[in-house]
Amino acid sequence: MAIVEMKKIYLFAHRAEKEKMVRALQSLGLVEIRQVEEKPTWKGCGDLRSIQEPEALHRLESRLNEIKYSLDLLARHFPLKKGFLEQFAGSKMTLTPEEFSTFGAEGEQVDKIYQACRRLDEGFTALGNEENRVENLLSDLAPYRDLNLPLKELGVSERVSVRLGSLPAASLAQFKDLLAREAPETHVQVVSQDKEVAHIFLIYLRDCPPVEAALKEHNWTDLQVPAHLTASPAQCMAQLEEKLAREREKGQGLLAQVEKLLPQRPRLMAYYDYLALKRDRLAVTDNFLSTDQAVLMTGWARAADIPQIEEHLAQVGETATLLARDPVEGEIPPVALKNGPLVEPFEAVTNLYSTPSPKEIDPTAALAPFFFVFFGITLGDAGYGILLTLLSLLLLKLMQPKGMGEQLIKLLALGGGAALCFGILTGSWFGDMINLPPLWFNPLDDPMKMLIFSMALGVIHLFAGMAIQAYRSIAAGKPWDAVFDQGFWYLLLIGLMLLALPAVAGLGKVLAIAGAVGLVLTQGRGQKNMVMKFFSGLLSLYDLTGYLSDVLSYSRLLALGLASGVIAVAINTMGRLVGSAGVVGFVLMLIILIGGHFFNLIIGTLGAYVHTSRLQYIEYFGKFFEGGGKAFTPFKINTQYVDLEEREA
Amino acid sequence: MFESMTGIVLALLGAALAVGLAGIGSAIGVGLVGQSASGVVSEDPDKFGQTLLLQALPGTQGIYGLLTGFLIMQRTGVVGGNLLNLTMEQGWAVFMAAMPVAIVGLLSAIAQGRAAAAGVGLIAKRPEELGKAIIFAVMVETYAVLALLASILLLFGITF
Repeated sequence: MAIVEMKKIYLFAHRAEKEKMVRALQSLGLVEIRQVEEKPTWKGCGDLRSIQEPEALHRLESRLNEIKYSLDLLARHFPLKKGFLEQFAGSKMTLTPEEFSTFGAEGEQVDKIYQACRRLDEGFTALGNEENRVENLLSDLAPYRDLNLPLKELGVSERVSVRLGSLPAASLAQFKDLLAREAPETHVQVVSQDKEVAHIFLIYLRDCPPVEAALKEHNWTDLQVPAHLTASPAQCMAQLEEKLAREREKGQGLLAQVEKLLPQRPRLMAYYDYLALKRDRLAVTDNFLSTDQAVLMTGWARAADIPQIEEHLAQVGETATLLARDPVEGEIPPVALKNGPLVEPFEAVTNLYSTPSPKEIDPTAALAPFFFVFFGITLGDAGYGILLTLLSLLLLKLMQPKGMGEQLIKLLALGGGAALCFGILTGSWFGDMINLPPLWFNPLDDPMKMLIFSMALGVIHLFAGMAIQAYRSIAAGKPWDAVFDQGFWYLLLIGLMLLALPAVAGLGKVLAIAGAVGLVLTQGRGQKNMVMKFFSGLLSLYDLTGYLSDVLSYSRLLALGLASGVIAVAINTMGRLVGSAGVVGFVLMLIILIGGHFFNLIIGTLGAYVHTSRLQYIEYFGKFFEGGGKAFTPFKINTQYVDLEEREA
Repeated sequence: MFESMTGIVLALLGAALAVGLAGIGSAIGVGLVGQSASGVVSEDPDKFGQTLLLQALPGTQGIYGLLTGFLIMQRTGVVGGNLLNLTMEQGWAVFMAAMPVAIVGLLSAIAQGRAAAAGVGLIAKRPEELGKAIIFAVMVETYAVLALLASILLLFGITF
């Protein structure tokens, strides 16, 4: 129920068995391999060196990149279809280790696929460029479509210049005037015109200076046509359209070729993972040290796993020797959590905030009951609770998520149970759809009562957080810290709360004053100067506002609980409004009820999860939790596309 | 007749503003996050689920607004049939009760949208930090929740 004890391990093996050892460690997945840090001073191991194979690693990496490239090409044109839910969890294909190992011999085949993909990709790029070019030409020519002039006539002949081009529509009138005045023999024909640009057919005497000047002044732009287009604009456009169609057909052809490669995709994926595992094995050897005969690897493992590791390694190789010791001063072991099956899902909550540091307490068990209760109150509906639990269990069964995904879904399943309990207490079944009397009371009838209850829960939550911090101080051999930092606050806060109750107000006054005096006297103990001691002590009373806002923060339990409840009632009311209008009304009502409640369930669950987490992270963890540990990440089979079935032990 | 109806008109104006303003805020906020989420998903389609989660966060203000609006309709009998005859004073009281959710909903949803959009940027680089990105956005939502609470307590405090 806490942070697992870790051992530092040293593994020696003969060099010849290095590969076997690494493979065994990878498939075991129980050891986090670290760089050998210490310079061992054992007798006869003077000449230790690291064994790195950068070239081999590099070769593997570039190979992986090639496969990735091929897979990306396939995915670009034929995306892998994923269900909505799979988007959240990812899906993999399942292979047995035997099937998987057959992929080792695929190198040549995969190389062929890669070359094919490269060719196809280049083809697509070339096609794309050509299509762009043709499309641009088409849009350039479009304004001149109605002009019956073979484009080969354009240009400068002996006597005249023949040009097609455009200038800003705004200056068209001025341009025409100018030409009529200065060079009346010029032929100006506006072929087409839109708001901004006028497209013009122009014939003028060769090198006529006033015309050239006018063109320059009015920002004339020539139409650029490649030399092979000689017919009239309309005919050229027809040719280009035809060409475009041909290019697109070619594109279809390429696509068909890509499609032919599709059956190879699973093979590529499996080979990718095969190589990636190999790469991982190679990369991890960077951390080893070696003599001529032996290799040394170090790392961390759970103390409880060590017999299993030892046994497995002994089976695989003859020379493996495993040493394990406790972490020494200054070493920071990685952190793995272990909790009972009911608490384990809540590890996701802890880990999403931070992995605990190896020196503190795993807060998971301490937050689990509060998370459960708060989640139940914020979702707050028995019907939604049942639905959420059923949906979560269904997801677990269908998708079989691993790691944090699994924990989160189990968390939701538990949360659904909590909502069911609280819904029964408050008589909320899909809002007011099913009328069952509340076991306790309905918050809609008496929101103030619920508000006070929420804040009372908050006080318990905060006090529990303080108690854990006090326990930590005592465990660390500083019992006085616990008295000063938590004990006096307890006195002050409890005293203040008692002041609100007339019967015990006198006692409350005494407690509060005692607590406050204690705080003023002790909270400045870190300061050296007497005056500073006093003022820091006095200033510490200001933290009271912090406690106040902490407690007020729990009012969200009421607000969110009411929110999901009232929205549910609103959905039911809308359903009833339309439900009386015959068959159509009935169908409409079903749609509103099912869609509405499903939507409210999703939003309510999101709100419950998010706000309940926040209460743990900000209010609760703020009292005692430090975090900042490094999660235990064992060297293991880490695949992207393929799930390996459990190996028979 | 007209005199006695002004109360209910004010109450309904309050409901309309609670639903409307908070809804506008949420629409803007969700839109902001959607824009940055699209950018991230264009690079990595697998982040759809995570970014969608963040996009949903500024949407809650609109729901709080709707909730308040519905409560007003229910309490004043607009929904359910028995329309109450509110005095001016009662009408103003209901109107005021709607204001916290309307105003804070509008502005906090936009602010939360910005925080969540930045969170989308965070998980683009470090997808494992989704939890922290969510918390940053939820810090903003606290004030919308408090406003909702104030609105609800005010509404339940008014006697008709």
